[in-house]
Amino acid sequence: MKATTTVSRLFLSRLFATRQAWSLPVAAFAVVSTLALSVAGGIHFFFTLNKQSVDEIAGIYMILAILAGILLIMPIASLAGAAAKLLARRRDERLSSLRLLGASSALLRTLAVTEASVLAAVGSLLGVLGYLVLMPVAGLLHFAGGPIGTSGMWLGAPGILAVLATIIGIGVVSSFTGLRSIEITPLGVRTRQRPARLHWLRIVAAVALLVVAQLFANIYGAGGIMLAVVMVLAAFAVPMLALHFIGPWLIAAVTRWRLRRAKTAQSLVAARAVLESPQQAWAQIGGVTLTTYIGVVAGAGVSLANMGMDDAAASMTNAEINLLTDLRTGVLLTMVIAFLLSACSVAITQTAQVIDRGALYNGLRRIGMSFTQLQATRRGAVFGPLWIVLIFTLLTAVITAFPLLGIAVVASPLSMLVISGCCVLGVLLIWGGVQSSAPTLRSVTAD
Amino acid sequence: MTHPILSATNLTKTYGSTQALVDVSLQVYPGESVAIMGPSGSGKTTLMHCLSGILVPDTGKVHLTILNNAATDITQLNEEQRAQLRREHLGFVFQDGLLLPELTAQENTALPLMLSGVPRNTAETQARNWLSALGLDGLYNRRLGQLSGGQAQRVAIARAQIAEPSVVFADEPTGALDSETSETVLTALLDSTVSRGRALVLVTHDESVAARCQRLIHVSDGRIISDSADTSGATR
Repeated sequence: MKATTTVSRLFLSRLFATRQAWSLPVAAFAVVSTLALSVAGGIHFFFTLNKQSVDEIAGIYMILAILAGILLIMPIASLAGAAAKLLARRRDERLSSLRLLGASSALLRTLAVTEASVLAAVGSLLGVLGYLVLMPVAGLLHFAGGPIGTSGMWLGAPGILAVLATIIGIGVVSSFTGLRSIEITPLGVRTRQRPARLHWLRIVAAVALLVVAQLFANIYGAGGIMLAVVMVLAAFAVPMLALHFIGPWLIAAVTRWRLRRAKTAQSLVAARAVLESPQQAWAQIGGVTLTTYIGVVAGAGVSLANMGMDDAAASMTNAEINLLTDLRTGVLLTMVIAFLLSACSVAITQTAQVIDRGALYNGLRRIGMSFTQLQATRRGAVFGPLWIVLIFTLLTAVITAFPLLGIAVVASPLSMLVISGCCVLGVLLIWGGVQSSAPTLRSVTAD
Repeated sequence: MTHPILSATNLTKTYGSTQALVDVSLQVYPGESVAIMGPSGSGKTTLMHCLSGILVPDTGKVHLTILNNAATDITQLNEEQRAQLRREHLGFVFQDGLLLPELTAQENTALPLMLSGVPRNTAETQARNWLSALGLDGLYNRRLGQLSGGQAQRVAIARAQIAEPSVVFADEPTGALDSETSETVLTALLDSTVSRGRALVLVTHDESVAARCQRLIHVSDGRIISDSADTSGATR
């Protein structure tokens, strides 16, 4: 116990000694918290509407706000996961060295949890400042016939604490990831003997979730309005969860096939880098693929809102017209936020990777790998998995959306425009994320 | 009289207020092994980096004669051209190997050839030949973490040799190894370079390593303070 306290104190006292070691994880958690608090503040606003003048429509606003929240949970979790993995990667080599020196499991866990908690907490507190700065800007958005207002975006102290506790919790829980392998095979972790393995149960879980989602969609899609809305939530949220399970496995399976066929150095190194950790490859692009999933829903949503406006504009009350206009605004806003979350996720992961592998990239440049070739390799490691998951996501989303919304809505021109726009934006975003880390690559490879 | 394969003239390099190289000139000849020694911060690694085109000196010229062609002034090439020159005509062995941990021994070795556009099958065949020649038969598909320090360093040597470079640069190639492994690795390095008519430029702190080279250059405060080629009066 004494040893644990002494060593923990030593490590904690050095936690902020090297700026490069703490700045990126703290910044990552700050961004996650800012965006998560802003999203939660926005959703909270719709729960205050019944105290205002929109009466019976307030319930529909609440349900739609929950739907937006559910759609954004995955990108937020993905970004929080990227931030948490950043902590884990910085710690693994250090902890495996300690394990090799004979450190107990209790000490490793204490160190992992305290470091993660402290860095996540500092980042999250900075995130609160970001949220406070964003509040007046987000408050300008119009919903239910008027602007949300700064006070409308205020989540309240208990709400803020709940969001922060969740984010810090993700950081702490993720800090246990990989600890088991450090405890069992520290040398393996230290020297990266084995690439990460993925359990086959992922596929079973994903397939089961997709089947359940389809059943819900088919059975309850046309039932009573409340039941239908709840089931729609399940039908869209569950496949997203399934994607999260199956994504890394799918990436690993297709990349192994690509590795055997790799002809250039860039494609060989890119494939090997992906296979080193398919979960990490998924973490980089997971947000965008989930955003694409949202895109299909969003496309259908916008199309549905327009159809409603066209068909019954004359007979609708002002509140109903507002609702349909707000539905369109809400869908597009959800998309923008999801893309923003994904952009941050890609930029964080790519920059962290460049810093972590700086010495190696420098060595490759010295033996004659040009900057262009290095960049091509890094792009390959990101875009290879992206195409695989993008196609699979589109198929899953369309299959899920058909029984609920019908072909007329999903395949309408407006819907197709939003879906294709999402794909193009997603790809551009990933490209931007990789490019955003190019200056860091230049600086770490400069002699 | 043999022409130098590498010729540096009046090199200077400054980092801020520190003069890393001061008016350094030297020639390296084919089949010659040159050890550069000096205390930490003396400028020996900077000299090696300038000679190999990793760094561009502030002033001075570095000429590399490739395949009996006219000498190319490395300092006049841009970054991409220098990278191409390094991967096609020069070899490198670093203290910590700097091999890609996710690649196998065979893939790491084949990398420079593949970067130059050689088909993967051809590159991997040559990689296996080099690994066998360096005593790593049967370890082709091992990842870096599954190799000992000495084995990993021999993979680095194989990678440095695969493109048949004119000059091989080694920065403390045995610095992380025990004396017995160090001896084996150094023998492998000399056999695969000097014995095949290639020049070897080696930076080291270790006098026993330097003693295995034909020529010894001492560097201090960015200057060459002694060169055994001058004192031996050897003619080229």
